[in-house]
Amino acid sequence: MERVSREKHVLFLLITGLLAWLVPGSGYWLLKEKKRAIIIFAAILLTFCTGLYIGSIGVIDPVGAKPWYAAQIMNSPLVALLGKITAGGAYCVYGKPNEIGQIYTSISGLLNLLCIVNTVYLAHLCGIQAGKD
Amino acid sequence: MSIETVFILAGFTSPIRLGTGPQSLLWMLPLIAAIAVVYKTTKLPKIKAGNFLKETVTLFVSIVIFIVITALILYAFDWLIIK
Repeated sequence: MERVSREKHVLFLLITGLLAWLVPGSGYWLLKEKKRAIIIFAAILLTFCTGLYIGSIGVIDPVGAKPWYAAQIMNSPLVALLGKITAGGAYCVYGKPNEIGQIYTSISGLLNLLCIVNTVYLAHLCGIQAGKD
Repeated sequence: MSIETVFILAGFTSPIRLGTGPQSLLWMLPLIAAIAVVYKTTKLPKIKAGNFLKETVTLFVSIVIFIVITALILYAFDWLIIK
């Protein structure tokens, strides 16, 4: 009985984490932290879009800039779709716009990673609280 | 798809023109604001407009001051080495 409950808890944490990765802030929404969810969604989306506007979608480069791409994909798995479009090299970007665009999109990805970890931790605490009640 | 949407999407397919002068450092400000907002959103136990704004502005100003101090120290080192 306890094992089933433990498995459910792990599944809940997994779903929360995946949801938080798929759409920034949605993990908080699932935990009924709606204000947090809206602020995180707006802040991460705005930062990511600002980066794309500065450097164009060419800043997402899964071939030539793998470490940056690893951080960028933390925004959402949907970034991989942009990566597929730019992988052919049709949107090359160099110099300052490339640097600043990459910094913006990567930092927003790392901020979302922070939110994913925080969401999973909050979900874990919720599970422990529910177990006690 | 409306013409406005096409123009907006087209804006994301070519980079904007950016100078390499000192004013390009101002691009750090929106990024610091985003970092301060997200960090405080995850850390505050309750989100209340007044307190949230105060905490976020405090963190924003702290980061900017720290960066300015670091830049001044590096500039002083550079000046000393050249002299």
